[in-house]
Amino acid sequence: MVGRLLGAAPRVLLTAMVAVFFVGSALADSDPDPNSPTPILLTSPDSTRVLATDSSVRGKGSLERIANNRAFDTGSKIALYFTNVALMPGEGANAFRVYASDSEGHFYRFPVVGLGRVAGYPDVYRATVILTDDMKFWGAPRPGDLNVYLAWRGLASNVVKLGVGGMDGIKDVPGTFPTPLATARAIAATQAKEMGNEDSYGGVGYRWSSDRMRFLEQATFGPTQTLDARVRRIGLRTWLAEQFESNYADFPYPDIPLMPSTAPTTCDGGTDDVPLTCRRDRYTQYPVQIWFFKNALYGESQLRLRVNWALNQLWVISGNDTQQSSHMIAYQQAIDKNIFGNWRQMMYDVTLNPAMGNYLDMIRSTRTNPNENYPREIMQLFNIGLFMLNQDGTLQLDGQGNPIPTYDQTTVTNLTKVFTGWRDCRTSDFQANCPNAVPGSPDYKDNMSLNTGSHDLTAKTLLTYPGSSATMNVAACGPPTCNTQATIYPYAYASLNQALDNIYNHPNVAPFVSKYLIQQLVTGDPSPAYVGRISAVFNANRTSPTQMKEVIKAILLDPEARGDSKTDPNYGKLREPVQLTTNLYRQLGVTSVDGTTQSDANISRYPRAMSQNPFYSPTVFNFYPPSYVIPGTSLLGPEFAIFNTGTAIARANFANSAVYGRINVSQPDTPNGTQLYLADLEAISNADATGNKLLDEMNNRFMHGTMSSQMRSTILTAVTAISSTPANAKARAQAAVYLTVTSSQYQVQR
Amino acid sequence: MKQDRREFLMRSGCALGMTALATQMRHFGLMSAMAQEAKSERSDVVPNDYRALVCVFLAGGNDGNNTLIPNHNDATISNYGVYSAARSAQGLAIAQASLLPITVPRMGGLTYGLHPSFGPGVAGAINNGIHELWAQGKMCAVTNVGTLVAPMTRAQYQNGSVRKPYQLYSHSDQVGQYQGGRSDTESFTGWGGRVADLRTSPDNPSGLIPMITSISGAQLFTAGQTTLPLAIADSGTSLANVLNPQGFSSSAANQARLAAFNSLRTIDLSSQVVAAASDITNEAMQANAALQTSQEVTVVFPNTSLGRQLKQVARLIKKRTDLSINRQVFFVQIGGFDTHNGQITTQAAQLGDVSQSMRAFYDEMVAQGVADKVTQFTMADFSRTFNPASSGGNVGSDHAWANYHFVVGGGITSADFFGINTSNGTPFPTLTMNGPDDADNGSNARGRWIPTTSVEQYAGTLARWFGVPAGNLSSVFPLIGNFSNTDLGFLVPPA
Repeated sequence: MVGRLLGAAPRVLLTAMVAVFFVGSALADSDPDPNSPTPILLTSPDSTRVLATDSSVRGKGSLERIANNRAFDTGSKIALYFTNVALMPGEGANAFRVYASDSEGHFYRFPVVGLGRVAGYPDVYRATVILTDDMKFWGAPRPGDLNVYLAWRGLASNVVKLGVGGMDGIKDVPGTFPTPLATARAIAATQAKEMGNEDSYGGVGYRWSSDRMRFLEQATFGPTQTLDARVRRIGLRTWLAEQFESNYADFPYPDIPLMPSTAPTTCDGGTDDVPLTCRRDRYTQYPVQIWFFKNALYGESQLRLRVNWALNQLWVISGNDTQQSSHMIAYQQAIDKNIFGNWRQMMYDVTLNPAMGNYLDMIRSTRTNPNENYPREIMQLFNIGLFMLNQDGTLQLDGQGNPIPTYDQTTVTNLTKVFTGWRDCRTSDFQANCPNAVPGSPDYKDNMSLNTGSHDLTAKTLLTYPGSSATMNVAACGPPTCNTQATIYPYAYASLNQALDNIYNHPNVAPFVSKYLIQQLVTGDPSPAYVGRISAVFNANRTSPTQMKEVIKAILLDPEARGDSKTDPNYGKLREPVQLTTNLYRQLGVTSVDGTTQSDANISRYPRAMSQNPFYSPTVFNFYPPSYVIPGTSLLGPEFAIFNTGTAIARANFANSAVYGRINVSQPDTPNGTQLYLADLEAISNADATGNKLLDEMNNRFMHGTMSSQMRSTILTAVTAISSTPANAKARAQAAVYLTVTSSQYQVQR
Repeated sequence: MKQDRREFLMRSGCALGMTALATQMRHFGLMSAMAQEAKSERSDVVPNDYRALVCVFLAGGNDGNNTLIPNHNDATISNYGVYSAARSAQGLAIAQASLLPITVPRMGGLTYGLHPSFGPGVAGAINNGIHELWAQGKMCAVTNVGTLVAPMTRAQYQNGSVRKPYQLYSHSDQVGQYQGGRSDTESFTGWGGRVADLRTSPDNPSGLIPMITSISGAQLFTAGQTTLPLAIADSGTSLANVLNPQGFSSSAANQARLAAFNSLRTIDLSSQVVAAASDITNEAMQANAALQTSQEVTVVFPNTSLGRQLKQVARLIKKRTDLSINRQVFFVQIGGFDTHNGQITTQAAQLGDVSQSMRAFYDEMVAQGVADKVTQFTMADFSRTFNPASSGGNVGSDHAWANYHFVVGGGITSADFFGINTSNGTPFPTLTMNGPDDADNGSNARGRWIPTTSVEQYAGTLARWFGVPAGNLSSVFPLIGNFSNTDLGFLVPPA
């Protein structure tokens, strides 16, 4: 470990110097080694039982004297000893999780409540652990020996035994060996030396090829060979800096006019429509889907669109209730301008956007007939959630161990009153600003305007939390009277802003938003420490106009996100249908059917068949909720909510269509068609009758080097079942791609 | 050096293959079977009849106040005038003349009215709807039912002396409690799934598909600890194609690829996320083999999402003997009930779809000779505020609490109201804002009725009929002991 730290320093210096010479300093961030050491749980020399004591035993004296041939009581607090970690400042107990499995193969998670050093052993830590499952899917483990491991930054320690309520009945997992301190130190030294070797190059660029591909899976709609080569050359941080400077989407938003609520006969889907595609383009979300997939497949502003798509699945509206594409586009623009901006500004822009107003009914909520839909969801779904959170995203508990609600119906009722009176932009409203208004069509391109007569003028009490006193009380309008548009208008907007401040300043917002974005980009069940690190960035930038840029950057550069491979079995996320689709297409150079140009990007049929039809979420709860627990695991896996027997096969059938088929040209909806580019794989296939080079390519491109030897040999068997004639080169390539991308191993981004 | 490190990482990773065994066993309740054997409880006799429960979930929260309406002028309890006075000014009241009358013995023979969409007059009707089944004694209503931790009066609600369900009026949480079958804490499993955990081994010992099938994704209701639901597309896809991976011809190369496709799911299971994906795909592939032949149903179903879902259920029921299955639970769902606005038009269309589809399904069960063996029942997030939201053409209603649910099937004991009495001495609540059954208080009260009948009592009655022994009810419904009457009487448990 010491060697690793020493080895890292000169490289950082060198990188900085190169940067000064060749690049502008703004782009000169260095990329350190992304890998973390692997924690090692200690045992005694002759046992595979973890070194453990009651937590009351302080770690003084010789570690070697700990007698660990004992069982601990269920629910008791113990200390486990481990080595080979390198902690960042502030990284503590919540960076670690202890997982256990019993003889029935059920998994449990024991809370790590303390972390300490051990006197006399500078490289040894002790984790204080409570032997009570906090996953709660299976209840208590069966008494007896458990297999336990420690997880840290997506890495798993060795698996060793721990007796809880007994000491019998479980076998060592294959390959387990005792790891007394001497052995553990030897392993640690080996690791450090290897990492030191990887450090020993001089120059900018990013040579950790597996991590580079992982990074691109997290930050884009899929790696391409061109993009990978570029990031290899310039590094992650420089690429990120470029992305943050990138403008709006490369393929601009379609310019669609506002239309009347009742479609004219020339735009109602009849054969006399002018143009014939009028209804498709103006009264459905078809153009938005095309815009989205054009940018996802071919755009340069990948990170912007990736985060846009994540936020679309948080601040949800749906084409099921949004009548016109122009309405959805205005909403996309409201989100888009804040993607790398400030969250509070996004709250304001979304709240007054008429498409959201329509979707969650604020557009029709009035003083006399208030509507609770938007006020409830802006708290529950978009910003705060239902229960008080710690800054690391874990639940706060009351004295009885129950979660603490963030608000009740009274809060909803009061907040509803604040949000009354706004409607689609009307030039007749006081001080309305509706530059895009078109007579006869509701104006969904401009923010909602206020019908002052419909705004509630009474006092309101909003969210109450530590620090809420500045925002929680909205006084009644006045004094003395509040009966003119000129008095109500400023009151209503001041109240609205105060209410948004009241929500934004709630302590839940930082962990709520941070955890959600981590789940969308990196992993389904992040460690609390990871969430906490991002929350801190969110909070440190609360008033910054580039708050979200800092948040996104922190998420993608966090040590839990980075590293060549993640060995924690709980790490990673199921690829959502949209990502599965775009990753396959981008990794295999998607083109038009004639191969001369780009696909028309009309590919939403595929994610739709897998229960994710973009811009048509079934409900405001999105296609899948962030709190979804994978059945049988007690592991958060949001995307699994739409992974079932039917959609599992739909995924395989998507791969079949894409790899063995194409989307043919058909006017007017698929003018170019869509197909994969397989020629380079055919060439590789043709050049090597053994199929090994083809498998290397699959491993590098799709599995970023993590394909197991068994997976490799299984696919190779099917590939070599096709005889190696030049005419069969394509069939071999197709079989390799089909089997790789339909595998469960590839369904999971880890 | 690289070797050493990789080896260590791989070893620690592979070591976790212990998950694999557990997940592999989760198919078809195999673990449940093992657990049962371990406890020597396999004294149950495999049933010699067929029974199925079909949950029709009205997602978004159907407004019960406009679905079941007083259609009488009795002055002693809430009557049509009371209803109309609260809803007509904003345009949310349904005209008395258009209500479909039902006679309710439990209410002293008074007349109540069903939403007009339950009759034959809806647009595109292909049958007479479910209203007709009331008079035939094949349909009943369970009243004032909702999520509860324990029985609760209005005074107790307001003084906090009895624990409330967590997060009342929130969609996701109330759906979770209806489907999860408990309201004190979040559930990872649903009550349908727990019924299947318990009954798969004794009732379907050689079933070729899981006890639970959803035609609307894998919902909480369908998830057990050891049960994974079969989730398939609606009748727009034939059973033979619904889980069939395309592109595998009989050529040697294709068969080799199919073999690899299958065996990839037996490796790399150290990752729980990968294992979960493999597990679900395995189940799909096994069910696919059992679904390759089937017979079409004979009754015409509406060509709506709900109609196609129920048609697919009917196809599976027709295939029950081939599938070697004696007990089944189904889940279908129709959305669009979150009528914060435009309720008059929207709810009429949605309830018309519900009525037409449930009636077609009932008729198909009659045709298959199992009408008294298959019970359809509704659930929903919650009911909606008695006080309207917005007004005029936009009029709708907000989230509320206690609701009315409908049970349809040949096994119904009588066409009546079932449920626990409210403070007015009847099972129908007092329709007064800030009144004795309103959770809301004061001048802002919107009419959110406090339930007197718990989800557990409603679901428990269904589960008992399905074959869950009385002694096992508490393993399906952990809080059912908080409620005295666990059999509401609208179905009769097996002898």
